Amino acid sequence: MKRYFMLMAYVLIFAASLHYFTDQSAGPTVEDRSRLLPVKMKAVKAGDSPSDIQQIVRDANAAGDEIAIAGMQHSQGGHTEYPDGILLDMKPYNEILEFDAEKKTITVQSGATWGDIQEHINPSGLALKVSQSQNIFTVGGSISVNAHGLDIRNHGLIDTIESMRLLDATGTILELSADQNSELFKAAVGGYGLMGVILDVTLKLTDDALYQIESEQLRYDEYSDYFKEKIKNDQVKMHLARISISPESFLEEMYVMNYSEVAQQDLLTEPQKLKEETLIAVPKFFLGLARLNDEGKEAFWKTQKTYAESVDGKKISRNNVMRSDSEFMEYSHPKNTEVLQEYFVPVDNFEAYIDDLRKTLAEEESFNLLNITIRYVEENEKAVLSYAKEDMFSLVLLINQGTDSQSIEDTGRVIRNMIDVTLDHGGSYYLPYYGYPTKEQMAEAYPRTKEFFELKRKYDPKERFMNLFYEEYKQ
Amino acid sequence: MNYKRFIVYQGAIGMASTMIFPFYILLINNVGNSYSQFGWAYGLFALTAAICYPFIGKLADKVGDKWLLGVYSWGMALTLLFFPLANEIWHVYILQVIMGVFGAVQRNSEKTVLARHVIKETAGKEIGKYHIWTSIAAAAAVIGTGYLVDFFTISSIFYIASAVFAWSGFIVMKKEKQFSGLPE
Repeated sequence: MKRYFMLMAYVLIFAASLHYFTDQSAGPTVEDRSRLLPVKMKAVKAGDSPSDIQQIVRDANAAGDEIAIAGMQHSQGGHTEYPDGILLDMKPYNEILEFDAEKKTITVQSGATWGDIQEHINPSGLALKVSQSQNIFTVGGSISVNAHGLDIRNHGLIDTIESMRLLDATGTILELSADQNSELFKAAVGGYGLMGVILDVTLKLTDDALYQIESEQLRYDEYSDYFKEKIKNDQVKMHLARISISPESFLEEMYVMNYSEVAQQDLLTEPQKLKEETLIAVPKFFLGLARLNDEGKEAFWKTQKTYAESVDGKKISRNNVMRSDSEFMEYSHPKNTEVLQEYFVPVDNFEAYIDDLRKTLAEEESFNLLNITIRYVEENEKAVLSYAKEDMFSLVLLINQGTDSQSIEDTGRVIRNMIDVTLDHGGSYYLPYYGYPTKEQMAEAYPRTKEFFELKRKYDPKERFMNLFYEEYKQ
Repeated sequence: MNYKRFIVYQGAIGMASTMIFPFYILLINNVGNSYSQFGWAYGLFALTAAICYPFIGKLADKVGDKWLLGVYSWGMALTLLFFPLANEIWHVYILQVIMGVFGAVQRNSEKTVLARHVIKETAGKEIGKYHIWTSIAAAAAVIGTGYLVDFFTISSIFYIASAVFAWSGFIVMKKEKQFSGLPE
């Protein structure tokens, strides 16, 4: 009998452990270096005050060392690395400096993550205007890649920056905003760490709100019209879609999720508790199946659709929409890695673009595409390296590939083909990823490429701030 | 507990403990960040074990091996439930100390059971046979887990291993069956 008693006690403690585990915060983030580009650096340095960082820059000047600036290192094209350079790790520089709930602004050191800000402002009923769907990135990192997210009403990330302080190559701190040093401001937002070190940033905030999720399934050829109709409704604040990568419905079936402000905002009487990552084993398992074979991809797609259906009608706060799960995507494999690509295509060209993309990928049996998420970005050409030349859909592709040179070559060929198709439809591609695209493709996608690199040398003539992206693409 | 059940038992706990050990380093990697911390985590384990052996040795002769194996199984089953919750390096250190105690219990009991069971003349053959089965179980576990980690998280591995330990504790506590008339 004693053993049955033990067993019962065990089951109880097991359940308690599982409960606390799922309740517990997402945990420390593991750094993610692009496993395709292992780079040996001279040293890793960090500082938690502006003067520390100033000193690091001055020392580098004296020693003639190059500096590569790093946040969470989710950029995959060597944007945070340079051989034998100093890696300036901004993560410890992460204090919240000032928060004004009345004026709805917050000033943070650039190593703070979007999650840090959310935790700080959620109790005051405020929310971010623009950030990525995941909140694990540093503010400085997101600004340097000019990120975007699910929000369709607050324009670009650049518009939410009231001002920021930038440490230039000489060790001087400059005040940057749309009005002050605006040339440098527009080059540093989406500047991939080449213009200087973003020290602290004052961001404009908005009210947290309660949204209702509406999810629907449709075909890809209905999507542009559907979206244009939807966006007329002011209540729709955020939008996300996915398109099938399963061979059975490849690039045809889609589902969309809209987040609309609910009429009775009083339901959000007190700020909704920030959600933490829960049972990641389930999505992780199905993503694992998708990596394996076609049946796995079908199973993954079905699960995604079922999930979308299951959340239809649910209510969620704005802050919680802007902190999606990401841990389930963490992947470690000795020979394979997962890379991202992101393509932007004008809203009206979506259908024709998808048809061409399908054709391009038809023959690529070994190209292991795992997921495509679609978001919307409004035209915004304020940043020098701006991808949103008009109102566009952005397609984020998750690709599993080998790390050997043959795999890199094969993946590169497919990706360059896809980018050609994207450019043919008046689109562009996102720069934070592996250096597969050619220089010509970059120049076509970003007409101000040349100007950007000239500005780099204007503000940093000694090329103190260096990274592999610059080395590869400079003109 | 008869000798055959002891081998099944050792196979099961061998599976559960090899399941976590190679991958355990991944957890420390998430929690800590330097090689010296890895060193300390494992060093504490071995040190605690060293301190415990004299007591456990005496205890084994007093309370019996079966009792100690039960303590080991349930102790490990419970300890592993705390691993997924660890998020600071000192959590890992504490868990390592506790694991050190249980580790010593297991190592000592494994040997005392063998010592009490085998006959001197055929000890080599007996112990060899014992190691075959426990090693096969360990190999299966570690290979299988390699695949599991791809599909699940490190945390789920701890839960699975914990359940295996609980099951082993359950069977070790099973009362001896009365003589059933069948030869063993």
